[in-house]
Amino acid sequence: MTLAAVVLELALVVATMLAVATLVVVGPRPVATALSDFRWRLRACLLPLAALAVVLLLRWATVDVVVRLEREVVGTPVTSYLFEFERLVFPEYPVAALQSFQTPEVTAYFVFVYIYGYAFLLLFPFIAYFALEEMEELSTLIVAFAVNYGVGLVCYVLFLSMGPRNLEPTLFEGLLYDAFPQSRTLTNQVNQNTNVFPSLHSSLSMTVFFIAWQTREKYPLWVPISGVLAISVVVSTMYLGIHWFLDVVAGTALAAASVYVARNYTIESAVGGIRGYLDGRLGRNGRPDRD
Amino acid sequence: MDEGAPSATRRGALAGAGSAIATALAGCSERLWSRAGTAGSEQIELTIKTVPADDDLAAAKIVSQFRENLRDAGIGVTHEPVPEADLYRDVLLDEEYDVFVARHPGIEEYDALRGLLHSEFVNEQGWQNPFHFSDVLADDYLDRQRRETGEQRRETIAELLEYLGDTVPYTTIGFPIEIAGHRAGIDARRTLSCPGDYFDLLCREPADGPRDGPLEVGVYGDRLGQRLNPLVVDRNRIDGLLGLLYEPLVRRVETGPSREETRVDDENGDDTGAGSQPNWSDSGTETETETETERVPWLAEEVSWDERGTGSEPRLRADVTLREGLEWHDGEPLEADDVVFTYRFLADTSMGAVDGGVPAPRYRSQGTVVETVDRLDDRTVRFSFGETSRPVATTAFSIPILPAHVWRDRTELVADQRTEALTTDNEEPVGSGPFEITDITIDRIELEPVEDHVFREPDDRPEFLEGFSQYSGISFRIDPNVGTMMDSLLDGEIDVTGDGIPPEDIGRFTDAEDVSTVTGQADSFYMIGYNHHHPELGNPRFRQIVSRLVDREHIALDLFNGFAEPATSLGSLVGLSDDEFGPNGRSGEGTGDQSQDANEDEDENEDGDENEDEADGIKITDFPGTDGEIDVELVRSLFRDAGYRYADGELLE
Repeated sequence: MTLAAVVLELALVVATMLAVATLVVVGPRPVATALSDFRWRLRACLLPLAALAVVLLLRWATVDVVVRLEREVVGTPVTSYLFEFERLVFPEYPVAALQSFQTPEVTAYFVFVYIYGYAFLLLFPFIAYFALEEMEELSTLIVAFAVNYGVGLVCYVLFLSMGPRNLEPTLFEGLLYDAFPQSRTLTNQVNQNTNVFPSLHSSLSMTVFFIAWQTREKYPLWVPISGVLAISVVVSTMYLGIHWFLDVVAGTALAAASVYVARNYTIESAVGGIRGYLDGRLGRNGRPDRD
Repeated sequence: MDEGAPSATRRGALAGAGSAIATALAGCSERLWSRAGTAGSEQIELTIKTVPADDDLAAAKIVSQFRENLRDAGIGVTHEPVPEADLYRDVLLDEEYDVFVARHPGIEEYDALRGLLHSEFVNEQGWQNPFHFSDVLADDYLDRQRRETGEQRRETIAELLEYLGDTVPYTTIGFPIEIAGHRAGIDARRTLSCPGDYFDLLCREPADGPRDGPLEVGVYGDRLGQRLNPLVVDRNRIDGLLGLLYEPLVRRVETGPSREETRVDDENGDDTGAGSQPNWSDSGTETETETETERVPWLAEEVSWDERGTGSEPRLRADVTLREGLEWHDGEPLEADDVVFTYRFLADTSMGAVDGGVPAPRYRSQGTVVETVDRLDDRTVRFSFGETSRPVATTAFSIPILPAHVWRDRTELVADQRTEALTTDNEEPVGSGPFEITDITIDRIELEPVEDHVFREPDDRPEFLEGFSQYSGISFRIDPNVGTMMDSLLDGEIDVTGDGIPPEDIGRFTDAEDVSTVTGQADSFYMIGYNHHHPELGNPRFRQIVSRLVDREHIALDLFNGFAEPATSLGSLVGLSDDEFGPNGRSGEGTGDQSQDANEDEDENEDGDENEDEADGIKITDFPGTDGEIDVELVRSLFRDAGYRYADGELLE
């Protein structure tokens, strides 16, 4: 299957899931209202959107530089530490333990969750929070995503690591690419196999879940759905042999931190803070004559 | 200080106490000093570098067995997977490693061992002595075999191998048997691992007649079209692609009937059931049906040898005449100057600007047999080889020729020991082959025919190219992993797989109706390389034991499902796969027990030698354990016998 075919299939499945969830969780009326006055809504979260766009663009544009920087200059190999940690701390390797429950049905479920469930989980909150009366939640979501991607990018440059399936094919199976090799056509476009620590699958999914919990009064139904999906995604990254236990732990911690940051700081305040700091510096050192 | 002088008793008591303290301190301080002065013995630690399973599943599996066995033996092991191109850079360019496990491309001629092991290459890059092995005795054998011929050379090689069997500069695990799949209508006889294999396939008419379209070849991997520089080692590559573009004077190809494993070709897929294994182990007959290696004059029309030197001072010379009408892909003529340039450039890519030169990391040992290379006229080049014998000198002609007008400007030094020629991606390769690259995308590389190429004329080309070409060009389809490449073949999107498939997946092809498989023994082998600058790995006795900690038979049978030939003889332990010294070779004395029944000509004397070898107690192929797991007590006793000790189960420095 070509890339286009894989993407088309993904788009169709995820669009269906989004449509159903929108009808059930949000309801048609709020969506219609939100669409009718989308201008102020967009304007309200323009800055966070711009920040996310910058991070994503940076990630996309620097991929070649980052790969060389990581592999040839600054990257510290950490795979063996992740592996040793599991060997010394647990009676059995967590990934191997999960894979011992392997059946074709379980594998199919986790492959579905890892690809389609994950895409749905990341996209649905955009619709749901867009349909709210205020754009605060949407801004939080977008800032949290930007923090996730930004920190992830830095970690991927600093830590050169590979997943369980790549280190140890005799202990851990690469279930995703065995069961569904075409998925690599997709993941190759967005990732390298040395981007393992932390797990962005885990961090973004848990971010969605944490924010869902904070907005439980507005969308009570979304809490259990996102909870089950997010935890399934987290488990799937290990079950499919892609991430280590510590990747997932780090991903979850990153999720908590990014939600905290997004709750307590806005892009405006961050920009204001930086401007204030620069003004202070320049005022004192750069332009002493004016005083 | 006499005021209030202490009484005699107090004085005595003080003196007694003082001396007691002094004595105690003396006894104690010796201990303290010796503890402070010497660092405690620490556990021996090794980092194993290898490629991730994505790049080479078999290598990753070998390392996991090796790692567990080293750990059980009390060695602190760190397993570090490194993407393929980066592994080559770490190991072959920067030499930053303790132990590596990788696939060596194979030893073409015995003289290649000189490149791998001679101490003159100890500071060079590439597969030139990446181990820092330096041994005057080995150097002497390596120098001698280069000058000798016939039986004399065979004996020198045998002595060399015996010596290497004791010193173990590196070790070989085994030789994989490659598996390729192809559509039923494609007359594929062997796996596609070198340019000769591609030409062989291009000359065979497909079932539906000559095709007015390209041969669709499936490969898999990452960034395959990114670096097209034939001189560098740190790149992801498609085997054979650059060899199709850059041609040598004389090409080494495999000819004749295909190998016995191609019995799967008779299109009744039944006898290729998933469980079937190649029957290399019950050797004897199939070696005779194997393909012959032949050297076909390629860019050269003729090579005329001159061995006239005087008896005491032999001088070997060869005059090479180029074919008429050779051209580069950009239309420039390919002349003697290009040939002369290539040999001089490979020896020093800075062309004299750097003291000592910056040799290219590839084609190095073949290049060093050429003493001088000079242009006689536009189409003739004279090589002189000094004392080198003819079989060794011939290997120099398999170096690909580069266009002088393109590479001449790449001599500038851009980093330590790297000229531009060794760093450029060479994005638009200008070669001389019958195909040129016309398009490179993330998932395709297109090769289209060069219309007026000399090999398009039936009269002017080598016999080997009879029927060339049944396809208009070659189109490589790059899939992200082996599973998608296999899907592409099953879906009919490609004609043949260029990269091998894992043995455990062969069932997917053998169960399919219109797909067949071929297998072939490539020259390449899996090796464990040791960095001799590591404090323990510099010790041959340590290397001997470490080399035994992989169960070669078990790996071949279990990890490769039988699609590998384990290293058993002294020759195969350094990567030789020929009939003489290879795994089933005639001269495999003293190691494997396979070859002995087959060898009727083994006389009493040799048997005697064998017993002596066994008495030495060192047989690298003897695995101290069962089914890939070591017998811990036995291995500890081996290390103890070699002068090492243990504390709390840890092997100490």
